Amino acid sequence: MPSGTGKTISLLSLIVAYQRAFPLEVTKLIYCSRTVPEIEKVVEELRKLMEFYSKQTRESNNFLALALSSRRNLCIHPEVSSLRFGKEVDGKCHSLTASYIRAQHHSNPSFPVCQFYEEFDAVGRQVPLPAGIYNLDDLKDFGRRKGWCPYYLARYSILHANIVVYSYHYLLDPKIADLVSKELAKKSVVVFDEAHNIDNVCIDSMSVNITRRTLDHCQNNVDTLHNTIHKIKETDAAKLKEEYRRLVEGLKEANVARETDVYLSNPVLPDEILQEAVPGTIRTAEHFVGFLRRFLEYLKSRLRVQHVIQESAPQFLKDIYDKVCIDRKPLRFCAERLQSLLRTLEITDIADFSAATLISNFATLVSTYSQGFTIIIEPFEDRTPTIANPVLHFSCMDPSIAIKPVFQRFQSVIITSGTLSPLDIYPRILDFHPVTMASFTMTLARTCLCPLIVGRGNDQVALSSKFETREDFAVIRNYGNLLMEMSAIVPDGIVAFFTSYVYMENIVASWYEQGILENIQRNKLIFIETQDAAETSMALEKYQEACENGRGAILLSVARGKVSEGIDFVHHFGRAVIMFGVPYVYTQSRILKARLEYLRDQFQIRENDFLTFDAMRHAAQCVGRAIRGKTDYGLMIFADKRYARADKRGKLPRWIQEHITDGSLNLTVDEAVQLSKHFLRQMAQPFRQEDQLGLSLLTLEQLESEEMLQKIAQVAHQT
Amino acid sequence: MASLSEEVLLVVKKVRQRKQDGTLYLMAERIAWGPEGKDRFTVSHLYADIRCQKISPDGKAKVQLQLVLHSGESTTFHFANESTALKDREAAKELLQQLLPKFKKKANKELEEKNRMLQEDPVLFQLYKDLVVSQVISAEEFWANRLGGVTNTDPAQYKYKQEVGISGAFLADIRPQTDGCNGLRYNLTADIIESIFRTYPAVKQKYNENVPHNLTEKEFWTRFFQSHYFHRDRINTGTQDIFSECAKQDEKGLKSMVVQGVKNPLVDLLSLEDKTLDEGYGVCGAQPSTSNSNRTVKESSNYAIIKRFNHHSAMVLAAGSRKGETPTDQASETSSTDGNSRDSDFFQPPVKKVKLQEEYEDLQQENRPKTVPLNLKKSDRYAHGPVPLQSQQYTTSQDIINSVNYIQHEMANYKPNLTQVLSSTVATSAISALSPGGVLMQAGAQQAINQMVPSEVQGELKHLYVAAGELLRHFWSCFPVNTPFLEEKLTGHLEEMLQTAYNKFHIWQTRRMMRKT
Repeated sequence: MPSGTGKTISLLSLIVAYQRAFPLEVTKLIYCSRTVPEIEKVVEELRKLMEFYSKQTRESNNFLALALSSRRNLCIHPEVSSLRFGKEVDGKCHSLTASYIRAQHHSNPSFPVCQFYEEFDAVGRQVPLPAGIYNLDDLKDFGRRKGWCPYYLARYSILHANIVVYSYHYLLDPKIADLVSKELAKKSVVVFDEAHNIDNVCIDSMSVNITRRTLDHCQNNVDTLHNTIHKIKETDAAKLKEEYRRLVEGLKEANVARETDVYLSNPVLPDEILQEAVPGTIRTAEHFVGFLRRFLEYLKSRLRVQHVIQESAPQFLKDIYDKVCIDRKPLRFCAERLQSLLRTLEITDIADFSAATLISNFATLVSTYSQGFTIIIEPFEDRTPTIANPVLHFSCMDPSIAIKPVFQRFQSVIITSGTLSPLDIYPRILDFHPVTMASFTMTLARTCLCPLIVGRGNDQVALSSKFETREDFAVIRNYGNLLMEMSAIVPDGIVAFFTSYVYMENIVASWYEQGILENIQRNKLIFIETQDAAETSMALEKYQEACENGRGAILLSVARGKVSEGIDFVHHFGRAVIMFGVPYVYTQSRILKARLEYLRDQFQIRENDFLTFDAMRHAAQCVGRAIRGKTDYGLMIFADKRYARADKRGKLPRWIQEHITDGSLNLTVDEAVQLSKHFLRQMAQPFRQEDQLGLSLLTLEQLESEEMLQKIAQVAHQT
Repeated sequence: MASLSEEVLLVVKKVRQRKQDGTLYLMAERIAWGPEGKDRFTVSHLYADIRCQKISPDGKAKVQLQLVLHSGESTTFHFANESTALKDREAAKELLQQLLPKFKKKANKELEEKNRMLQEDPVLFQLYKDLVVSQVISAEEFWANRLGGVTNTDPAQYKYKQEVGISGAFLADIRPQTDGCNGLRYNLTADIIESIFRTYPAVKQKYNENVPHNLTEKEFWTRFFQSHYFHRDRINTGTQDIFSECAKQDEKGLKSMVVQGVKNPLVDLLSLEDKTLDEGYGVCGAQPSTSNSNRTVKESSNYAIIKRFNHHSAMVLAAGSRKGETPTDQASETSSTDGNSRDSDFFQPPVKKVKLQEEYEDLQQENRPKTVPLNLKKSDRYAHGPVPLQSQQYTTSQDIINSVNYIQHEMANYKPNLTQVLSSTVATSAISALSPGGVLMQAGAQQAINQMVPSEVQGELKHLYVAAGELLRHFWSCFPVNTPFLEEKLTGHLEEMLQTAYNKFHIWQTRRMMRKT
């Protein structure tokens, strides 16, 4: 079911009820969502639920629920919060709150620190956050009133909060999860909402790309380290000795860093490593810098290749041992050792050292996992074979690696989304055994969605975005014709999705040449997504403004783009969605090929199945943007004849599939227009409460009636 | 001279007016002409009274300048100095050209107002034609109690009529046509030019800078259509094009819009992600580079098109919502050239709250004012529109033959029962009731009268009726008669007027009758 149909509130009320009934069994609910607005929406839903509880039970419950987000969304320091990018905010915050900065401030009060953090550190920990529901803004308000830092307050409070709502990076990305979510109780329930892309999130968080630029930066970093070590050696040799002693005692202790020292912690270190001592070869600072240098030179030599190379992690390790005599063991400790060094050297600006951190993370990952990863070295981009631009992709192919700790640690994990379809592929690619699986459809008082598959133009030319007919003028013209006809009959907003950015650029250009865009402009304004996020945001806002003031607009956008993933087109902002073509991923990429191969070998998933699954989940995601609740309505136009095939259609979510009739499988543009007209007229009729009663809206009596209970049981059994 | 205190801007000697030699004076606020040797002006017009000036064509023997006044009168000056006539005339024309616009605004506001009222109200215009043009009452009297109403009511209500937005496709409406000899012809209307100016203030600025001095209007638009600016897929390379600056300005506007960011947090893609991956992580880290060096010509032209479209739409949108700003207002223009209209101010943090808390109307207790729902008996009819009614029951030919046979059979066996029929009186009354004009046919007859009279007669009659009503209104507005003016009006010309009106009606009536017979 699409969002707006009560998915979130159902989950929340069920789990909260369970939590109240068995406070010892389920101590915490961890609700993960994808974007900041979605996180905030969840908290607002929760607020409503809690209000309802206290109204019904007439007692205030002592639930503590809060949202956690990055510093950028929570900082109240006047100087730091004015920065625009997350990285800058993090860096600036760190330069004001790191432990040694504060120590310096102690001796020299003129040294700037963040007074909000100081205040929080002094008193904030003793008094727990009073019970209640805290959204991001509420946290900021509370922080301002008390003078405490909301970010650290939130991070501290999630340990004893009953409900935590945050982005799923905090749980899946090992670099962050280690910092934030490490101490969350085992008896928690974890919910991944909007989880249709969860495999990609897992993979992204474990993959590394190294370019020549990264290596150059890293070279600078290493030089800086070298100089700093020299300086410190002259002034404060004891410090380095102290570090050495610590490293001998083992990483376990070294790892107990104070929470403000935000070094990106290492990716999923197996626990046993933490028990071991750092190997002697990299224990002293100079040796470690030398070691890094050697590793760097090796990587540089690898990037000098003239042809594409693909190899596995063990092959890479063997090669590095043969060439520069670097063993597997010290490589595994690389990330941890670098952090320890950075801490010791009191380097303030970690953002500067992102390149070195990246390289050391890569070293640790490549030596830790022998399976599920591949290394691809490409000397140039495929599109520009003359320009040398070597990239080393260290790519994760197995999403289960990142999510495994979550499954292992928490007692219940719920994966849900509006477009999780087909269901059975998720357990396979994430490698887990589901306790229960269910797919629900929507109960609608009126059929408020109208999926149409347009397979032909008015001149009977087959519409398809497949590679062979991509450049065909007849197809492009017919696509333009479809958009033009739709722009004439659909009120307010239309969103059109293309399969890729390049494809959209080409189509827009040829529509411009053929004068199609001008004709569309007679009906609606045109806004187009660009690769620049800020520009697109502006276009989006203008688009909404145009829909708002009645002029009507069209947004041309890209599947897999930012718009298709995060923006809802509620009500008049999206009365029709047109999906031009099937959004297959770019299949020529070597990384994708490697992943497909891996899926085939490890999980017995055929390449085509996975590609279709991936394309269809993105198509469903795009198309589902228009329906945000049962009072909403919208056309969904799939403009590609391939959608009519059973293997594609069958992979759409059930709530869409149900409404595709045999009559709407291979329509021409004209037929689609006729059907749309009819649909839009019917939907424009007033929709009242009485119409829904008993169908999609139940009174308490109806809900408790025997008949309805049977019906519910029946629906539950079906799935 | 009569008014030497006035500043005299230009003196032209040997100007004839009504065949009389004299001197033309252009002063700060009026133009005047005095016959030679006399001490006073026989002709004197305030600039504010002048509607326009006309000049004789160049080739003509007589070098003349005509002033047309708002009142419709005109005065013609003939420049008689043989050697310098043309130059004199040009000088006077140039000066007037500069002066007249200044006074244009001051020009008779009332007149404009009246004009506007007549244009906007066809009934009033007809009334004006009936009463004033046919000289039943004088114009002053006609306006006397009309304008009173106008000045009393809030002028703002009239001044700000609803601003009309701009069509998104105004550039598409300029269809180039080939003129047959390797050229293109663009048709520009005043509306389109207005749209271009409102959407692209930069072009307007260029127009103001260049048009009277450097280029003619035609040249300006020719260059506009040739420019890279108009053809969006061309990439701007040359700098000699006067519109290259416009393009740059647009670029700047677009940038500033982007830098300002969006106010609605729900559409801000930059802040959507809670935690973005650091550089170097992720699968598709090697994005196709977007720097210009790597782009092919085609790609960057495609990119230019997309950018232009976004900009165009934003500007059209902004132009539509620039409310109450006169287009000539330079200051406001520059503030809105960035295309950010004020409407976006709606998106304030409180709105964010509202948007986050999704409300379900159907779950709320109903406490809104009840609306009357549209009750459709046949929703199909509504959805499809009227469909010609088709007889649904078909009869087969066999059925028809059968029924004909049956009727024939019946008729053959018919025997009139003459003892049991209606009496003749009842029958005749029934027939008369059913014939036209009868009791039962009244509805039909009434309808007929509406259609019997041709619509033009109806219209004329209506006009006469309205005119008479207006006169009666004048008549009754004189009561109670408490001023001598009213008394005079009543006894004097109002009676006369009514008489005229009656006569007019009579004439019309007889004319109608004549035509009919």
